[in-house]
Amino acid sequence: MDGVCVVPVLEATGITKAFPGVVALDDVSVAFEPGRIHGIVGENGAGKSTLVKILDGVLRPDKGTVRIEGEDAFTHPRLFEKISYVPQELLLFRHMTVAENLFMPFWTSGVHGLIRQQRLFAEALPWLDLFQIDVAPSRLAGDISVSNQQLLQIARATVKEQGRILVLDEPTTSLTAKGISRLFEVIRQLKSQGRSIIFISHKLDEISDLCDEVTVLRNGVKVGYSRMGDVDHRWLIRHMSGRDIDEGHVFRPRTQEQSIVLEVEGLSGQGFADISFLLHRGEILGFAGLVGAGRSEIMQTVFGRLPAKGGRVLLDGKPLKLGNPRLSIREGLVYLPEERRQQGILPLLSVRHNISISTLRQLTTGGVISARRESALVQKMVDTFDIRTPSLERPIMFLSGGNQQKVVIGRAMACVPKVLILDEPTKGIDVGTKTDLYGLMRDLVEGGETSMIFISSDLDELLRCANRVITVYGGRIVGEFNPEVSGKTEIIASMIGETVSGGVEILQ
Amino acid sequence: MKAATKGATDAQVKSAAKDATAPTKPAVKGAAPASPAVVRLVNLFKQGKTSGVLLALLLIMAIASIASPYFLSTFNMQSVIRAMAFTGMVAMAQACLLILGELDLSVGAVAGLSGVLGGVFMVWLNIDPFVSFGLGLLSGAVFGLMNGLLVTWLELNALVVTIGMTGVYLGINLVISQGKAIIDIPPAIYFLGQGVVLGIPMPFVIMLLVLAVIVFVATYTPFGRYMYAIGNSREAAHILGVPVNLVRTLTFMGVGLVAALAGMVMVARLGTSQPSIGDTWVLDSIAASVIGGVALTGGVGSPAGALLGAAIIGVVQDVIVLFGVSPYYQTAVSGMIVVGAIALDAISRKIARARQ
Repeated sequence: MDGVCVVPVLEATGITKAFPGVVALDDVSVAFEPGRIHGIVGENGAGKSTLVKILDGVLRPDKGTVRIEGEDAFTHPRLFEKISYVPQELLLFRHMTVAENLFMPFWTSGVHGLIRQQRLFAEALPWLDLFQIDVAPSRLAGDISVSNQQLLQIARATVKEQGRILVLDEPTTSLTAKGISRLFEVIRQLKSQGRSIIFISHKLDEISDLCDEVTVLRNGVKVGYSRMGDVDHRWLIRHMSGRDIDEGHVFRPRTQEQSIVLEVEGLSGQGFADISFLLHRGEILGFAGLVGAGRSEIMQTVFGRLPAKGGRVLLDGKPLKLGNPRLSIREGLVYLPEERRQQGILPLLSVRHNISISTLRQLTTGGVISARRESALVQKMVDTFDIRTPSLERPIMFLSGGNQQKVVIGRAMACVPKVLILDEPTKGIDVGTKTDLYGLMRDLVEGGETSMIFISSDLDELLRCANRVITVYGGRIVGEFNPEVSGKTEIIASMIGETVSGGVEILQ
Repeated sequence: MKAATKGATDAQVKSAAKDATAPTKPAVKGAAPASPAVVRLVNLFKQGKTSGVLLALLLIMAIASIASPYFLSTFNMQSVIRAMAFTGMVAMAQACLLILGELDLSVGAVAGLSGVLGGVFMVWLNIDPFVSFGLGLLSGAVFGLMNGLLVTWLELNALVVTIGMTGVYLGINLVISQGKAIIDIPPAIYFLGQGVVLGIPMPFVIMLLVLAVIVFVATYTPFGRYMYAIGNSREAAHILGVPVNLVRTLTFMGVGLVAALAGMVMVARLGTSQPSIGDTWVLDSIAASVIGGVALTGGVGSPAGALLGAAIIGVVQDVIVLFGVSPYYQTAVSGMIVVGAIALDAISRKIARARQ
């Protein structure tokens, strides 16, 4: 504590919470002060979400108290209305207007009586202005850009008359760099109004950039607390993972060959045109670009999820029939989607069924799935990828994000792909697990059977993992770089559409 | 007991995960054997919340047998299982569709039309009764296939398609039959509906065969896994290489086939092709699935559970008759069971959550 003694607006003391088989939180105490941004960091499964749910009143702890403005919140549950939680996912009413979304459910946001659209629009304008959401209040929420949607979701939480404490859970995962700086500006403004902000993120840059203080959780225990000015990334990483991780460590496979495994020629499709590139055997090829540049669309078309308008794809020299994911997988081309929740996992199904789903044909004898061979495969993947689950029969939705991603990768590797396309595989994953994942990717590629295409918005991780980096801008390939010689700045320049010298221009 | 086995598995896997070396494989495998047949049976009921439904069924039967000495009599039991055989078959098929996130409201109309067509083949066209029986089944499969293609190819909503097709099938039924039963069905096929094997009525035996096939497909084949995968997320399933539209279409076809089977067996039981066959099966099939733990949102539940749901409906309807309550109460009671079952499920989940 420094000289000024501020009364915490929200204070949790001695919180303990156990789920069957796991202690999610063990005697955690944390206090939040008005006008401060308090970061909460920790690896997947560290207990961040559980803590936030307890602070928000969704879960009751086994032990411990939550006091809001000095009063026990569990005896006065209305106090929880002062806390506005903004979840990581976009939960907007897509077919309603921006203004309606903003003020829903109306009585908590000062809109009383009958609801007249024109009045809502007028009242929405200053809020949209404050949050720099540059769309008309009459637009449908589903039609505005993702970063505007994210800001709208935060605006909606702020509008609440009682919302003194704002909890932001990984708010930047779907934002562009520009969107993030806009968001931060808004958060700082809210802070200056005296609101207390709880900021949960995996991105250490954001934590150190934005937060005034930080609490680190590991395995349900509070392992560190500090004012932001006193600590650096190294301290954060050490406390989060319990070990020293070198952020500069390089994971480039050393097996890059001259021979070509995947060749894309003049491919055109939704939002991109005339894409040509090569993937060498034994390499990780990075794809960099802004959100919306067309990276995912290109790869989903290569894989066959989206229809191609022209061009062709050669896998091992053989033309691949486009537009059929099933066939692509059988030929050895596997795609891991960015939207893990919607497209990656089968939420209600067990870890076992999630891992084996793409390889069932190889696990059958006379049309019947062999339980023995399935278990062997699943157990192998669980061991290889260190998937932490209480049981193979656990529905995957109950696993942490990082473990879900490991299941998804395990499933892909069970197909023994020649080419594995990873679309933002580290999205929403903590530093320790990320580093594990990089090592895993390198080992898989160096293992000799798989080459990879790695799409990421995080240029640092591309530079650490990829043998080559291709930049995409506006649906076209604009540059190709060797991360060992090219600098970060010239790649960024290329990503935002600036022509630079130095990079190898492959666009005629 | 179920909780105990599960707890043991959890602990074993966790210990296996901790000491990474030797015990890993035996530990996980250790959960499986003991007595494979028993474990498999338990597993069968573990999908979804089937054991609870089984318990409820036994409870209702216990109460009924105490209240009425006739309930457990051979004659009454035969009549109960004969009656539930029809809705049971259709419910199991419907459950498969619900699991993959679709539903078929035309099952009753398909059963009725297939029954009438079977009668037309046998009586009017004088085709061999068993060939006609097969043709009746085939017609049902074709109707199901049509439903499936409309839903998958044209990407229409299953609810709307099958409501519309109900009208079409029912209309064709009435045009052909003129609303009258086709009589003089050849007695050669009567045993399929009226026969008794080892004290068990034939319709129930046929239903058990359907159970075996459906549970086998749903549990032990890739096709079954694909159903669950599609019900969880059609998009994810597509990316994972699941032949989404093929599985959806074939399941619709299978439902048509099973509905026609139920219809044809009913024809054999009645000895006439009644145009009204199947008219109550749609709601019963969905109600049974819901009671049996199949989620209307798809992705969870089991066909075996739906069968238990059908059994509960059947027993309760029997009890109503046994106690001499006006049959008009039947409908209301069936409705109450459905709402009661989902309410009970929701309440138990709430209690579980509160205990967490």
